[in-house]
Amino acid sequence: MIGPEFPAVLSAAARGDEEAFGRLWHDLQPRVLRYFAVVSPAAAEDLASETWLGVVRGIERFRGTEPAFRAWVFTIARHEAVDWWRRAARRPTENLAVDGLMEQVAPDDPAAAAVEGFSTRAALAVVATLPADQAEAIVLRVVAGLEVNQVAEIMDRRPNTVRVLTHRGLRRLAERLGDDARIRRVV
Amino acid sequence: MGPDDASWAEMRRLPLDPDTDPLALEDETVERLLAGELSPDQAPPGYAEVAELLAAATAAPTHGELAGQAAALAELRAVTRARRAPAHVRRAARPPRRRWVGLAAVALVGALVTGGAAVAATGQLLEPVREVARSILDTVGGADSAASTAPGPPASAPATRAAGPGGGGQGPPPTAAADRGRGTTGAAPGANPDLEGLCQAYLAGKGSEQGRKLAATAFEALARAAGGPDQVDAYCQDLLPGAAKPEKEQNPPSDDQGQEHGQGQGGPPSSTGGGTERTVSSPGPSSPAR
Repeated sequence: MIGPEFPAVLSAAARGDEEAFGRLWHDLQPRVLRYFAVVSPAAAEDLASETWLGVVRGIERFRGTEPAFRAWVFTIARHEAVDWWRRAARRPTENLAVDGLMEQVAPDDPAAAAVEGFSTRAALAVVATLPADQAEAIVLRVVAGLEVNQVAEIMDRRPNTVRVLTHRGLRRLAERLGDDARIRRVV
Repeated sequence: MGPDDASWAEMRRLPLDPDTDPLALEDETVERLLAGELSPDQAPPGYAEVAELLAAATAAPTHGELAGQAAALAELRAVTRARRAPAHVRRAARPPRRRWVGLAAVALVGALVTGGAAVAATGQLLEPVREVARSILDTVGGADSAASTAPGPPASAPATRAAGPGGGGQGPPPTAAADRGRGTTGAAPGANPDLEGLCQAYLAGKGSEQGRKLAATAFEALARAAGGPDQVDAYCQDLLPGAAKPEKEQNPPSDDQGQEHGQGQGGPPSSTGGGTERTVSSPGPSSPAR
């Protein structure tokens, strides 16, 4: 979050001020990357770049508060993701990067992983194993830090549907991780 | 409407009664979990791991995640210039797409090095990124001779480069850190090189307001490690005995990268610094042209 300075930062960034734009980027890029790591991990970096290209092109016309800006950036991000899903549907063999992520979910040494806790990438990879809409709703709520209504608008769903998706997603995560933890304790 | 209908049906089936479902959650608890307000200890039964997972998903950014800033700023610069430029120059102003993709590849290598453990490796990324950014800068003006080949080497270079300028003083040898990053999972020491990198970035940016602002996220992470914002200075001085002086930041990015600068994210802010002065101060007064 940038906070009270946001309006000044935004207008400076819209004028091409690199320091100001850098602050916006710094604040949101990790969140954008993590969003893509969940919804389209094979192309996360490229899609994040495309998202910022969209931001650069549109920032001059954007008006609004910091939460609205954040939602706007993720609206662009989701458009990139949707485009990519369409393209990927035509080339179904693009799941290599997902395999790469999955390796990290199951590290060689579960005990070490348990001590260390989750790395961010492993955590995102676990979220990515949820049904797609549950995973997306959770990552938009948690990682992007958006409100239910913003997520609903971005995902083109009703707010109540978003609530159900996040609720079910969390529950499923609890089931899965609980099983995993029990196994670890037994082993 | 279709998907919503399905979800409504699901919602009706969703077991919410704690008597029948040990994992049932109140709406308010869901919100608090999502907001990260519940530590694993505070989470409802069965949700400790979920709380831990959500915390990991929102952990402080890694260097890899922040490696692409120069590219994003180059894009901004190109678009801003194109807007201000007369129509006939406009076509040349956008850097060709493949360069952008090359930069994304550089960032990808950084991000793939997991867990923030391999800061030495990602630290080395910064210079290649800077080089490419500089070449974009040069190209935006016109010719594209050397620059067109630039994205290639950086994308593959970081791994090999890690061994190069590593002669610099303190810290674990870059190769060790890189191995750790590539290996299974960095064990406990993985946190240290990360903090070292952050300290370097912090100290490098300290002299200029800009560096400080751009490193705000890093600073938050440091403050957490140091036990408070006012402890960061002392913490970093301890961590990096031969700590860099802020003057370093004023040097043009083309200067030889001293041992401190090879690491951390002092890099992007410094190259940004030069760029900002150049682009903003000159077109600034005439900017209403837009």
